[in-house]
Amino acid sequence: MTTLPRLLSILALFMAWLLLSLVLPASIVPGPVAVFTALAENIRSGTAFYHLYKTLLRVGLGLVLTMVLGISIGTIMGLSRKGELFLDSWVLVGLTIPAIVNSIICLMWFGLNDRAAIVAIGTAAFPTVSISFWQGIKGIDMQLVSMGQAFRLNRIDIVRKIIFPQLLPQTLASMRSALGICWKICTTVELIGMSSGVGYQLNYWFGLYSTSQVFAWTLLFLLVMFAIEYLLFKPLEKRLTRWRTGVPGLQWAQ
Amino acid sequence: MAHRSSRTAVGAIKVINVAKEHALPRGERLRVLDDISFEAGDRSFTSILGPSGCGKSTILNLIAGLDQHSSGQISIDGTRIGFVFQQPRLLNWRTVEQNVILPLEQQKYEKHAMRALAAKYLGLVGLAGYENYYPLQLSGGMQQRVAIARALVIDPDILLMDEPFSGLDEITARKLRQQLIRIWQETGKTILFVTHSISESVFLSQQILIVSVKPARIFKRITVDLAYPREYGDLRLFEIETQLTKDFLGMSTE
Repeated sequence: MTTLPRLLSILALFMAWLLLSLVLPASIVPGPVAVFTALAENIRSGTAFYHLYKTLLRVGLGLVLTMVLGISIGTIMGLSRKGELFLDSWVLVGLTIPAIVNSIICLMWFGLNDRAAIVAIGTAAFPTVSISFWQGIKGIDMQLVSMGQAFRLNRIDIVRKIIFPQLLPQTLASMRSALGICWKICTTVELIGMSSGVGYQLNYWFGLYSTSQVFAWTLLFLLVMFAIEYLLFKPLEKRLTRWRTGVPGLQWAQ
Repeated sequence: MAHRSSRTAVGAIKVINVAKEHALPRGERLRVLDDISFEAGDRSFTSILGPSGCGKSTILNLIAGLDQHSSGQISIDGTRIGFVFQQPRLLNWRTVEQNVILPLEQQKYEKHAMRALAAKYLGLVGLAGYENYYPLQLSGGMQQRVAIARALVIDPDILLMDEPFSGLDEITARKLRQQLIRIWQETGKTILFVTHSISESVFLSQQILIVSVKPARIFKRITVDLAYPREYGDLRLFEIETQLTKDFLGMSTE
């Protein structure tokens, strides 16, 4: 039931692109044929894989750093009032500084390498995760914790069976939005300081004023994002939040 | 730990001169419980009756070991305590069966043994066949029955119930009270039941402890000497209720 509207929405987007490309000159909006040809050529020659691999590596490691920083800081803030007072200005600073500043500074500190990209991503994307976790920890149902204590569950089991599952939806949601942010920062870093990656390719083709190649790389990017969303996040979310909607085939009991 | 089918241990509760104080800022102390003494024999059904916010629940928490008393003595024959709270306090991400076996998971049971016990107690509360439902698919009354099954699954010596039916509509609550009496007679648990409803305490209990407000004291102790199962609308119940209502009004004008 949910696939049809989604397919229609993607189809509508595609049609809009097609129409625009028919009306406007190819140097401004290249048509799907030109773009897919460019993409196919990139894939055939192998450049697509190499640059995509570099970008995915940076995004992946950057995301790990983001989650580690975000979860640690968010947890400390959620658990301790002092921690909250100490760290909330850090988070505010992190939220306020434009990601491009992180990128420039990391490139200046670490040089034009992957480490700079990963640190830039991690430091720019962690505040949203921290905030989400901070709220998540404050929202833990303490009544359930005292239920666990009443039934003599040990501390480890209380964390594992009662607290952790309550934070899981939060973790998934924040990871999702963090991934989006990481992608964007990664392309920025690659654009200004890297000699590989999708962002570098975008910059390169921008220099040659090849709209169809810029579109082709963007399309590749989109396809990968869709794949991650539909092959990883959506099934994971469905599995983890099954209990909210219930088991398929079972009626709501009276 | 072996699961006992018939109990030999006793589930008597003895509370002697128990007081509970909370420390307030500025070094003041707030006395919530004052000189509470009572006994509940093995297999007895005792209600603690008092207005909302009088500290009744604190008595249960002290017996369950969730809280520490300031002075006095609490002695319990038996080690296992089942707790049913005002809200069901189920883990919504676990199925009904997984919720029921939660207290058993630490006790080195075989998987099939746990499932058999869950089935036994779900049957006892009239929820056979609902093992694979998630709590949010069930009505409030059914959720509370799952909570009762969870408390019974450890074969407790003592069952502590903290206003378990006060969040339900009266028709559902009546059915559950009748079920509770049947379960109590079948399993022979010692039940300590906290309520603010006069009619509920009269319908259920052998002994009623009327508790006064701030600090909570046992104002009066009443035995209800009527056979089980009792009928709603029984005039003798009504007479006791009327008398208790007078006692209550007398207490509040003191």
